[in-house]
Amino acid sequence: MPELPELNPIIHGKLRLALLSLLAGVEEAEFTWLRSRTGSTDGNLGAQLTKLEEAGYVAVEKKFVQRKPQTIYRISENGRCALSEYVQALKLLLGGAMGN
Amino acid sequence: MTSDMSESELKERVQLIESMIFEGRRTTESWGWSFLFWGVAYYVAIGWTAWTHYGLAWLITMVSASLLMWAIVKSKTKKPEVKKPDTTVGRAIFSIWIAMGISMSVLLTAMGFSGRFNAQMFVAVVGAMLGTSNAASGMILRWKAQFACALVWWAAAAAACFATVDQSTVVFLVAIFFCQIVFGAYAMSCEARARRQGALHA
Repeated sequence: MPELPELNPIIHGKLRLALLSLLAGVEEAEFTWLRSRTGSTDGNLGAQLTKLEEAGYVAVEKKFVQRKPQTIYRISENGRCALSEYVQALKLLLGGAMGN
Repeated sequence: MTSDMSESELKERVQLIESMIFEGRRTTESWGWSFLFWGVAYYVAIGWTAWTHYGLAWLITMVSASLLMWAIVKSKTKKPEVKKPDTTVGRAIFSIWIAMGISMSVLLTAMGFSGRFNAQMFVAVVGAMLGTSNAASGMILRWKAQFACALVWWAAAAAACFATVDQSTVVFLVAIFFCQIVFGAYAMSCEARARRQGALHA
């Protein structure tokens, strides 16, 4: 029997998974847009995005637009690969679960 | 990480990924109204030219329509609380239509002022350009209905090369009706349906 794959614990958290999936569909996104799509609090969102940034899954850019600070996030190549591997692992686990 | 995961939890994760990716891509949509808008603008320009034979009717209508469209788009995106992010697909489609609009403006204005201009050539040029833009957008979006519009525009462009002035005008009116008015209404209904599904998704 083939060994079941492990799910990447960094991506596995619901909010972190939602954030990475959101960023996979766009070129880049502002903090406020991510907050509005996930319904998360500023503190929790910031903490989860920091974890993704530390893992190298998202890149962060801070800039000023019309004198207002903006924090822009975009998924990195590592993040895209990690999400793809996570989806593959989910498919394998679901295949196993459905086979039982 | 896997031992304590039930099948329903795994499925929940899959649904979360699907809904979030859908949410991101959803931001590229909602341009069906612009097809209707330009269809009406073309009809206004044709009607104005037919009734008054005023040489600048097309130029004035197209410039006014461009300004009005710019104002509408500006008001729709005016200081939103949350700025929608760009997508690669959205930027690609926007680029195609902007480039087509500039090409058409430059070419038709130059043709008009040079005097090397007739109804058949006008329909052929406009039809070919709109065919190209619709085909490119249709292929990017994998949207057969829009590609069908491209075929109609290309057919209109080819037909205009062999037609009389009256015939090419009729061909143009018919192509506008199907590719701008009917397709615009259809696109708007698709967008409304997608928004409803998005609301359900959330």
